[in-house]
Formats: sequence, structure tokens, C-alpha cells
Amino acid sequence: MSSSDVRDVLNLSEGASGTRPNKKQRLAAPRPNLKGLAREVHNLGGDNPIAIVPEVTQFKKRRFANRKPASRWEMRSFRNSARNDPTLILKHWRRIEEKQSNQDSPAEELKQEDGTQEGQAPTQDGMEDSSFAKFNAQVSVPQYSDDQYAQTLTSDTWTKDETDYLLDLAKAFDLRWPLIWDRYEWTPPATNGEANENGDESKAIVPLPDTQARTMEDLKARYYEVAAKMMAVQKPVQYMTQPEFALHELMARFNPEQEKMRKNFALNAFTRSREEAREEESLLLEIKRILARSERFNEERRELYSRLDYPHAETDISSFKSSAGLQTLLGTLMNASSKKRKTLPGPEGASPSNPAPPQVPVQDSGRRESSGPSTGNREPPATGTPTTASKKGQSQAQQSPAERPKLTEKEEAIYGVTHHDRLGSGPTFRTEKINKLFSHKSNQQQLRINNTLNELDVPSKLAMPTSATTSQYEQLLGAVNSLLEARKVSDKLDGEIKIELAKKAEREKANAPPDSEKSKAQEDPSKESAEGAAATTAEAASKPGSTEPDDDEEEGDTPQNTTAAGAQTEEEEIGVEGKAVRPGSSGASHKRSASVLSTASDKSSKRQKK
Amino acid sequence: MAQQPLSSAAQPTDVYGGDEVSALVLDPGYCNTRAGWAGEDVPKSILPSFYGHSTATPTQNYFGDERLIPRADFEIRNYMNKDSVVEDWDVAPKIWEHMLINRLQPDKQTPPSKNGLNDDPKEKTQDGEGDVAMEETENQEIEKLLQENPLLVTEAPWNTPKAREKTTEVIMETWGCPAFWLSRTPVLSAFAAGKATALVIDVGGANTSVAAIHDGMVLKRSIQKSPIGGLWLSSQIRSLWETSEPKVTLTPTYMVENKTPVDALAPVQARLRHFPYQIHSSFRAYEEERVLTEFKESVVEVWNKPGRLNSPGNEEFAKTLPGRVFEMPDGWNQMWREQRFKLTEGLFDETAGYPLPEEERVGKNQTIPALIRAALEAVDVDLRGNLLANVVVTGSTTLINGFNDRLQNELAAMYPGMKIKIHAAGLTSERRFGAWIGGSILASLGTFHQMWISRKEYEENGPGIVEKRCK
Ligand SMILES: Nc1ncnc2c1ncn2[C@@H]1O[C@H](COP(=O)(O)OP(=O)(O)OP(=O)(O)O)[C@@H](O)[C@H]1O
Ligand SMILES: [Mg+2]
Repeated sequence: MSSSDVRDVLNLSEGASGTRPNKKQRLAAPRPNLKGLAREVHNLGGDNPIAIVPEVTQFKKRRFANRKPASRWEMRSFRNSARNDPTLILKHWRRIEEKQSNQDSPAEELKQEDGTQEGQAPTQDGMEDSSFAKFNAQVSVPQYSDDQYAQTLTSDTWTKDETDYLLDLAKAFDLRWPLIWDRYEWTPPATNGEANENGDESKAIVPLPDTQARTMEDLKARYYEVAAKMMAVQKPVQYMTQPEFALHELMARFNPEQEKMRKNFALNAFTRSREEAREEESLLLEIKRILARSERFNEERRELYSRLDYPHAETDISSFKSSAGLQTLLGTLMNASSKKRKTLPGPEGASPSNPAPPQVPVQDSGRRESSGPSTGNREPPATGTPTTASKKGQSQAQQSPAERPKLTEKEEAIYGVTHHDRLGSGPTFRTEKINKLFSHKSNQQQLRINNTLNELDVPSKLAMPTSATTSQYEQLLGAVNSLLEARKVSDKLDGEIKIELAKKAEREKANAPPDSEKSKAQEDPSKESAEGAAATTAEAASKPGSTEPDDDEEEGDTPQNTTAAGAQTEEEEIGVEGKAVRPGSSGASHKRSASVLSTASDKSSKRQKK
Repeated sequence: MAQQPLSSAAQPTDVYGGDEVSALVLDPGYCNTRAGWAGEDVPKSILPSFYGHSTATPTQNYFGDERLIPRADFEIRNYMNKDSVVEDWDVAPKIWEHMLINRLQPDKQTPPSKNGLNDDPKEKTQDGEGDVAMEETENQEIEKLLQENPLLVTEAPWNTPKAREKTTEVIMETWGCPAFWLSRTPVLSAFAAGKATALVIDVGGANTSVAAIHDGMVLKRSIQKSPIGGLWLSSQIRSLWETSEPKVTLTPTYMVENKTPVDALAPVQARLRHFPYQIHSSFRAYEEERVLTEFKESVVEVWNKPGRLNSPGNEEFAKTLPGRVFEMPDGWNQMWREQRFKLTEGLFDETAGYPLPEEERVGKNQTIPALIRAALEAVDVDLRGNLLANVVVTGSTTLINGFNDRLQNELAAMYPGMKIKIHAAGLTSERRFGAWIGGSILASLGTFHQMWISRKEYEENGPGIVEKRCK
């Protein structure tokens, strides 16, 4: 059957015959390789030859190449020394070993190898032993004499006969307890005391009800008891080796009650209803999910730590303190960075968690771009330094500085781009900065500030220290400070006024009424100054009052201009948040800029290739 | 496709520990008896356990399907009883000999001097004498032939000690085997599925059994048995045909001389054969059973959608499922729809199914789910989970479509939350000959050499040794 037949059957036209010669050429090559059914199957494929796994002909070839006569086999007798009755002789087919054949033939060696491998050592009478005899393994059960039994093993619930029976079973079933328990059919010997070797039939008929009552735990407990005691008899506990002692302890401590309880639990689990099963399943699923999530959290946390863990300068920097030293440093860094840049598009883009070498931030020091507002004061864009924000922009800047887009102020706000003259090295937390404001103050002052903040319903720690909120918070703190300052002044003045008033009253008492006018006149300027102080306090008080809603959008009773401000902060916050999602923006970690660079340039290089 | 030859380093003998000693395996069941060489994947010889018996003097037995044809004074008997235990100890060895010797070792030719071709035609007159002589030599040959082969015989897990000893005697005394072993069918079925620990569900001919196997040994307390099997299903089909409208008459093939195809439910147009002698009812029953088996194979199904057949709505749904047409030997044909499912429903639900005569009805605790539950309850709780994860299904009746799915559903409903895995061989032959295949594997293992009960051990201990060794 050829492909044309198939076409006939399937009612396909021969129209595509234009490709025929072509196809023949194609088929000409594989055809000689295929034989029999494989060729037929191949032909069925017609124009789309079926992929046939090429036949491995090596085996056959070698066989035909071997011109030696076929090896002889014989039915050889063997015995198995593992049998109870080793006289049984069975026969199997084995290759005849020709001893007289030439020594250097590899086949001979192979055979010998086979022989040793099978381990068929000839037994004394020359007949080989089965290679499987060595797999025979037997358990050893404890043995005891009548005396030993009477001394140590007597029990209220077990007779010696039954104990014997148990140990026999244990041996017969190789200590497989389910089987021992399954076949356990102890019947006390007949009343006439006649224990017949083969007379199982007479006994096995009526199993007494109380033998049924023996649970597997009972059997185990008895067996372990006997085994442990006999172990101790044969070798006192103090002379036992470590494993022996462990085994002894294990057996001596066997607790049938606990086992029973465990089995009851298992039974409960076995007979639970569908709902319970489903609930358990869902709980298990939940656990799995929680575990997976905590794992992810841990992973993220670890990564975060490794990001924060910037390399510390190990070398002494005093040599770089002179201008000449700095110059050489700059030279080496420039070299290193230019090299670095060349290798950047390579496949080994540094992963975000890779600690970048410390020179990277320095390299960028010419035009500093901090993607996070690590310092509160925003600088106007430095003249001549192109502003870049996102990774994208950065990578574009790398590629062609001319096309670098200029960000408008609004965009900058959205992307959270700020410009700084100087930045401290290493990443800093925004909260750190706020903490600094606190830590400069005395305890007394801190307490006061906190009290004021409490009054204003503003938390002393920022929940979400975005750049906008931190700057606002700073302003707020400034205002609070001045308020406190003002309050202090006014308190002082109040105190002074009181003292003066008291003095005056005393003086009035002491002096005659004619003196009163004078003292009034004396007092006036002090009163005026007190009033002035009060006015300034009020002013100061009103100032933080007006700025406060800017920070706290929750306070709804804000005048018009503050809503605008609020809107602005919102916008800023969105920008900051949007940016925070992107890796490599928050925290202004300098070492990461390298990796960002590399991944970005990776992407762009790929794009270029396309 | 080109078969990748095994490299010499990974020859099967090394991997599987096989070491064949020309052992034979014999698996007698109620419906079929199977025999073959250990190490092969299917039995070479499969004979019905039914045999023909001619009551005319001299009585004669006929073995093999092809010889069970209508004859005068001819009965069909079975050497097994409905418990799958050998009953007729006169015939059993004969059938087994027929299979083990005549069928399995036919290449031993009669020497040319005796094969009859070279006989002098003049001597033909002394026919009777010659026959006797030949029979004698044959008998000797039987003894000789099996002297070479260890024999593994399977038995039902509830086989009686009497029957076991009888088997032993036949093997050792009559056939002179060098060694033998008796093994229980569920153990072997588990081996055939590659498992040493399993819950074996065997739905065979005369009965269904469930047994837990632990580490290659049957747990006696777990053995459960019920009469629901192939024969019970046959009764269900008969009941269906009796009660269906119009009533379906079962005319077995041998009675039909010719037939004309007719439309569904149209009256039969066939000429029946008439025999000048009485056909025994057992013969007719045997022939009917063949038709019933055909019906089981092609029409009967097990309801395998969620729930039982008599759960609300299911019966209506079953009516909408495509039916199957079955044509009787006499041409009667009919479409069977929801009945196909109802026939087997009794396997799982004693309240469903078709009415049966009192003695064939099964009780509440004889359905397959009940058997499984009882079997599991009789084993240690620690084993149950493992057993449910290793459920082995075997026996020809499990070949009915949907059986495994249904079993899975039933088990899942009984033991929610347990992992249930059913292992049912995909090849029909592996399901039909599960026990035999397990025996074939066992008897060809190198490590099994030390298990065989040898002739010497038998001679020292007598037939009682089988009770001690084959536990
Ligand atoms: N494809 C099939 N589908 C359904 N049933 C079948 C199929 N083939 C055979 N049977 C039925 O299976 C039964 C025979 O099963 P099997 O050969 O497993 O029994 P057995 O092993 O001889 O008997 P037992 O195990 O009871 O001693 C017969 O009743 C037959 O009708
Ligand atoms: Mg069977």
C-alpha cells in the first residue's frame, strides 16, 4: 500500500503531483533504512513522512558480525542451600562454559564475571548453589528454658504454652504483627493434656472467645516483655552496647495503652464524615497557603535586608583626603565604571540583591539622581544636568543622551523625582530623619511635643512616611516647636506679670493710696509687653493651626487653600506610591542603581536587537 | 517499532530475580481452569471447568469446549462446587492431567514405533490388546513427564484443609512432581498487579471475594465471600428476560439450524434443530450460559455516574442514554436501555436489580461495598489506609463497562477523606487470568526456590505439611 492508494481511499486528487519528483528524492534517503512494517507505515504518510524513530541496528549487526557458533545452553541442576530441605534439586537453563576455549577472548571473561556475579559457588558435591540463597534472612526470636521462664517470665494473663505459641507465630511470620494477630488462634491444650504434634485439627475447630479478645497490643506487649527480659538475662543491662540498650529500653517501655489510644484516634480519622474530611482538607489547604505566604514574606524580608546591607568601606580613606588623592581615586573609578558599562549589556545582569561595589554611587556623583526624597528640601533642577527618573528614562539616557526627555515639574512630582546638591552616603530612612528632630530635644521637650501632637490627633510616628508626608511632618514639627517656644515665652511673661502684680499689691498695701497712681503708671509698659507677647503667641498658635490640615487630610474642616494643598499632597503621594512599586526607587539605595541600570540596558539592548 | 534491546548489564534476570525451573502453574476456578508454564504472561491452556459426562456404559468424560457438543446420554458437570473448591476428586486430576500433559507438553511425540502409522495393517485385528498396552505406557509417561516440573496450584482463600491435602496427594503421589506449592488466589492476583499489600476484589464466576493481603500473605480474618458473581449476574439477566415485555426466550446456539434476520421485536424466523435423543438440561444450561456471557460482554454495563441508579433522577437519565441491540442466536433482537444498568446494580445495592428466586437473593451484607467494609473492619486500623490505596480488581466479571468507576465512587462515598486507588489491569487477559499470572510470576522467581515443598519434605511429613507451610 502506497501513498497513492491512501489518496484513492480518501478521495484526494493527485493534483499535488507536482511535488512528486521532489518527494521521491526526499524519500530516497530514508527508505533503505526501513524494513518491513516500518516501511509500510512510512509509505502511508505520503507527502508528510511520518517520523519514525530510527531502528537501532547495532545489536543485530554485532550479532551477525559475530561468526562464532551459537553458544550452547544446558539444563543444569542446582540446589538452594537456603531451603529447610536442601536436597531438592531443580534445573534451569544455563550457558555451557567452555573451559578449553582460548583464554584471551573477552566473552570468556564476561562469562566468568557472570559466574562470580551470580555467586554460584559450587557446593561440595560440585553442584551449584542458587544465587538467591543469600537473600534468605530470618528473624531471631527470644529463646528461653523452662527454668528461665519460671524465674523471670511468669505472668498472670499468659501461660507458658501460650507464650510459646506466640513466639512460634512471631518466628513463622517474621514479626509481621498484622499477620501474627490475624492468625492468632490459641486454644488451651485439651483437658486430657495430650498435646499432639500434628493434631491441629482437633484443636483448631473451637477458638475460645477469650483468645479473640487478645488485641495486637496485648500480643506485642507480651512479646516485647519476653524479649526485653531475655535480653537482660543474657546480658545484664549495664554491659549492653548503646544500640542494644536502646532496643532494650524500647521494648521494655512498650506501652499498650498508648498504642490503643493511638489506634482509636486512627479509627476516628478513618470513620470521619465527608464534611469533616472536607473541612480538614480545606484547613490543610489553608495551612499550606499560610506557610507559602510566610515563606514569601521571609524571602522578601531577606531580600530587603540584603539590600539595606551596603558594603562598608574597609580601607582607610585618609589617603583620599587630599585633592591629589581624590584625583587619583576619580581616575580609577572612571576606569572601573567605563569597564563596567561595557560589560553591562552582558547576560550576567546583576540581580537586585547583589551588593553592588561601592564605587557606583560615586560614579554617578556628577549628576546625582535620587529617585527617593531622602532629604526633605527639594532643589530646583540643576542647570545642565539632565533629569531622569524612571529606569526607562535612565536607560534611554544611557543609550543616547540627546533624546533624554525633559520632565515637567508635574511629572517629576508624579515620579517623585527630587534633586539634591549633596546626599549622605548610603540609604537612610525617612523616619530616621524625623527621629533626629526628636532626638535633638531634651526629654522634657520631647514630652511636650508629643503632648501637642496628641492634642492635634497626629501620631508621633508616621504610618506611611512618603516624601510628601515627611516634609509636611517636618513643617508640622517646626510649627509645634515654635508654638512651644511661644508658649514658654508667654508662660514666662505670665509668671512675671503675676509676680509684678503681687509686688504691686504688696506695695499698695504697704504704701499709702497716693502711691497707687505711680505704680499703675509703672506697670503699664509691662502690661503692654505682656499683651504683645500674648499676641505673638496667638499668631504663633494660629500659624501651626493653618499648616496642620495640610499634613492631616483626615481633618475635614480645612479652608480652601488647604484643600488645594491636600490635593497636591495626594498627588504627590500617588506619585511616590507608583514609584515605590518599581524596584530600585525607594530608599535611594545607590548600590542598586547599578543593577537597575544593567537590567534596563539589558532590556533596551534586546529591543535594539529586535 | 524497533524494540530497544536490553543491554547485557540490565538483563531481566538480574532485575527481576527470575530464575525459571520449568515450573507449571495451575489455576482452577469455577468457570475456567487455567494452566501454563511459569514465566509466561498468559496461560497456554484454558479449559472450562465444566466437562461432559456420558452416562451410557462405559461412562466417559469429555474435556474441552470443542468436545461439549450435543450427544445422547450426555450431561455437563463441573468438578468444582460453587465455592470454587474442588468437589469431584475423581475427575479433577483427569482434567488437570489433560491440561498439564496433553495440552502443555504436546511436543513429546509418540515414538514412531507406537504412533500407529507404522503398524502392520495385518495386526489390526488385535486392536483391543494394543490399546491397553498403549494406555499403560501413557500412564507411565504421565508420571515421568511431571517428574521434571515443580507445580504451583492456586486455591480459593477458604479452601478446606481436606481439599488441600487431596491436592497434595494428587500432585505428589499421582504425578510425582519434584516439588509443589499451594497459593491463594487473592495473593496471586495482588502479585500480578505488582503488589505485596493490597485489598483484592475478585468478582469471578461463582462468587465474589474480598481479601486483604499483607506482605504477600492473606489476612484470614479479612476474607469475605458472597455469591454475587458471574452466575448471579446470569440469573439477573434471565430474570430480566422473563419479566420483560414481550418475554424473551433464550434459545441457545446449538438448537438453531438456520435463521433469517428479523426486525427488532419481530417474531423469530428460524428453524430449530431436533435431536433424536434427549438433550440433558445441564447441557442446555451450559449452552445458555454462553449466550448470557455474550450478553454480559456486549450489553451489560455498570452505572458509573455519581450516585446510585435509584438515586433521584438517575433512572430517568439512564433511559436517555444510548441503548444497545442484542441479537439472540435465533434472530430475536431488541434494544436494551436502562435495563443494562439495573442488571448490575445489585452488586452494589441489594435493594436494586431484578427479582430473583429466594435461594439466589443476596443479603444486605453481601454486596461488594458491604464485603469491603467487613474486610477492612477485620484488619488492623493501621493497615486500612494502605489497603484502600492499593485496591486490586480482578476476575472476569469486573470487565463489565463502568465497574471500576462505580467501585471508585462507592469507596469514595464510604471512606471520604481516604486516598483510594484502584488498580485494574487494562488488558482483559490480565483481569481474566489475574491469579494465574501472579502464580506465573511467583513460580519463576529465584527467591521462590526455597519455598517449594519438596518430595522429600512431603514424604517425611505427609500431606499435612501443606497446612504448615502454605499459610
Ligand atoms: N467480558 C466479560 N464481561 C462480563 N462478564 C464476563 C466476561 N467474560 C466472562 N465473564 C463472566 O465471568 C465469569 C467467569 O469469571 P472467571 O473466569 O473470573 O471465574 P473463575 O475464576 O473461573 O471462577 P471463580 O473465581 O468463581 O472460581 C463467567 O460467569 C462469565 O460469564
Ligand atoms: Mg477466579
